[in-house]
Amino acid sequence: MDSISGLLGGFAALANPETLLYMIGGFLIGTFFGAVPGLTSVLAIALLLPLTYSLDVTTALVACASIFMAGMCSGSITATTINIPGAPSSMMTALEGYPMQQRGEGAKALGHAALGSMIGGSLGALLLMVMAPLAADVALLIRTPGKFSLIAFALIVIIIAQRGSVTKGMIATLLGLMVATIGIDVVQPLARFTFGSSVLIQGIDMMPLIIGTFAISELLIQADSRSDRTVDPSKIQAAKVRRRDFIPPFSEVREIGMMRYLKSAVIGYAVGILPGAGGSMAAFVSYAESMRSSKHPERYGKGNPEGIAAAECANNSMCGGAFVPMLTFGIPGDPTTAIVLGVLVINGLQPGPQFMTQQLDLIAPMFASLFVSALILIPLTLYLLGPYFLKIVSIRRDVLYSSIAIVALVGSYVATYSTFQMALALVFGILAYFLRKQNYPSVCLLLGFVLGPSLEEYCRRSLSISDGNPLIFVTSPDSLFFLALTLVFFYFMVIRKPKTRLPQAEASET
Amino acid sequence: MVLAVITLIYLISAIRLGPPMRDGNMTASFFPIAIGVVMLLALAAAMAHAIRGSRGVTRAKPAASDDAPAARQYLGLSSGAIGVILLTAGYLLAFDMIGYFVSTFFYVLLLCSLFGGGFTKGLVSRIIAAVVITLAGYLLFEIIFQVRLPTLWSQ
Repeated sequence: MDSISGLLGGFAALANPETLLYMIGGFLIGTFFGAVPGLTSVLAIALLLPLTYSLDVTTALVACASIFMAGMCSGSITATTINIPGAPSSMMTALEGYPMQQRGEGAKALGHAALGSMIGGSLGALLLMVMAPLAADVALLIRTPGKFSLIAFALIVIIIAQRGSVTKGMIATLLGLMVATIGIDVVQPLARFTFGSSVLIQGIDMMPLIIGTFAISELLIQADSRSDRTVDPSKIQAAKVRRRDFIPPFSEVREIGMMRYLKSAVIGYAVGILPGAGGSMAAFVSYAESMRSSKHPERYGKGNPEGIAAAECANNSMCGGAFVPMLTFGIPGDPTTAIVLGVLVINGLQPGPQFMTQQLDLIAPMFASLFVSALILIPLTLYLLGPYFLKIVSIRRDVLYSSIAIVALVGSYVATYSTFQMALALVFGILAYFLRKQNYPSVCLLLGFVLGPSLEEYCRRSLSISDGNPLIFVTSPDSLFFLALTLVFFYFMVIRKPKTRLPQAEASET
Repeated sequence: MVLAVITLIYLISAIRLGPPMRDGNMTASFFPIAIGVVMLLALAAAMAHAIRGSRGVTRAKPAASDDAPAARQYLGLSSGAIGVILLTAGYLLAFDMIGYFVSTFFYVLLLCSLFGGGFTKGLVSRIIAAVVITLAGYLLFEIIFQVRLPTLWSQ
């Protein structure tokens, strides 16, 4: 009963004009960053992170949630209209949306994408509100060895989720773990890897790592491009859309069917809970399942609204699922929730099993923001701004990237009022640039860094409980459960890989 | 190769922290040594994979490298990326010495020129953009979020 009133209190908190302003502002920023090819909502949240030092924690979380939700759906704008997914999670949408655009049904495709995002996003938020307290109760049962195995499970799944580059995922994760060991040891008061520098004794702050990995590296990559604008203006003329065309016909929505929406939302939510999976994986799995169960699988890849609905419903539902492990176990499974964890840590809060009950008043507005962003802001933004989307996202690159550079660098300065943090952001930016150029997943670097200290601490505490006997990890039931789960995931994701044939793959073979 | 050198330095520093186990308990060096060893193994696997891959490519497409001119690279960095790094490093030095306003204005102006494809093209609009972005940054950080930024006079 307390939790229900707490969750309702979250919706009431959105009535505060300042909080509401940040939610709407965050949504518009997330829409912009999600729609511009090359930028992502992760970058938008990373740029927001320094500002959370001066911002109320609830307001910051509300803004993060709306950016997250907006970033997931807005990638479909450029995916549909010009066949360039604004975000990786919209790649499956491009497969169906762009053929519809070529048939003159681009606005309708965007309408289907918004409807799918709206249904998926709101169901994902509702599932989060229902499931998170239950997951928190389960989390209370996990003891120290189990916590180690859970984090090890998360890291291994993050690595093996990197399709085709598991070794590179492993190297990036280990690099993150290495960076995390700099500074005072997690158990003993002993400085490690400071190389005689007093500024490294406190360790590496999360902020310069996030800013460097997501903002500075993006600047370095974009510096190679020679175009003046983010989207070619000639393509905007070819992709004109009208407001009334955005509403999808009821007959098509009925043909897609409520069950498909529900199934896609559940798939997206479940994928969101998995560490390292993210929106792209959610959209891919849901699209593949939708094609498998469709009465007309031959229509896929040729502009089928079913595929758009399945992909968009799943990637927005994923937002709700991604928060579950972060809030209940303190384990972020993707970069967005890792940054949200950073927001909490900056404000002296540590997520864990009792976090949901003890701090519900702080995080309930974030749940409400996810729900309201999906249910109201997605369709409203499409209706109001839809005809102007492409004009908005086609801006001068020099102005855009200079602005990002200033927000990123001055933002790094905020944490300690020292240019050392700015220099660290530059160093991590260069490192992430090299990693990205060689196709190393930079998200693994961040998650290794975030989870590293807990992994080491629980490992050492477990072994000190058992007098150095490593068998504690297999004799403790909760630990054994997560080790067995790791093996199951390894079997299904590495040994027995999914063999779904998608239209894109088939097209490339012909 | 760079990662292998970094890992070796890391591993040597970890070993110098002391023995990994003492009285049956893990010490502060255990975890870093384990990470360092696994990292070296992973790097060796990646290198072997890359060598196998490059052999396969050479056998299949002996003349593939002639297709398109590659962008000029220096130490693995493109000229644009080097420009951004040098400008940013200069900005970090100037930020503390001459304050937010002057350093940010020139940094944005030079960055706009780099991303816009030259220093002479549209100079007036870039100066206006640099002034607007500098003022917007000041408004955001100093006025709205009350972050005390360094000024020329506060040094």
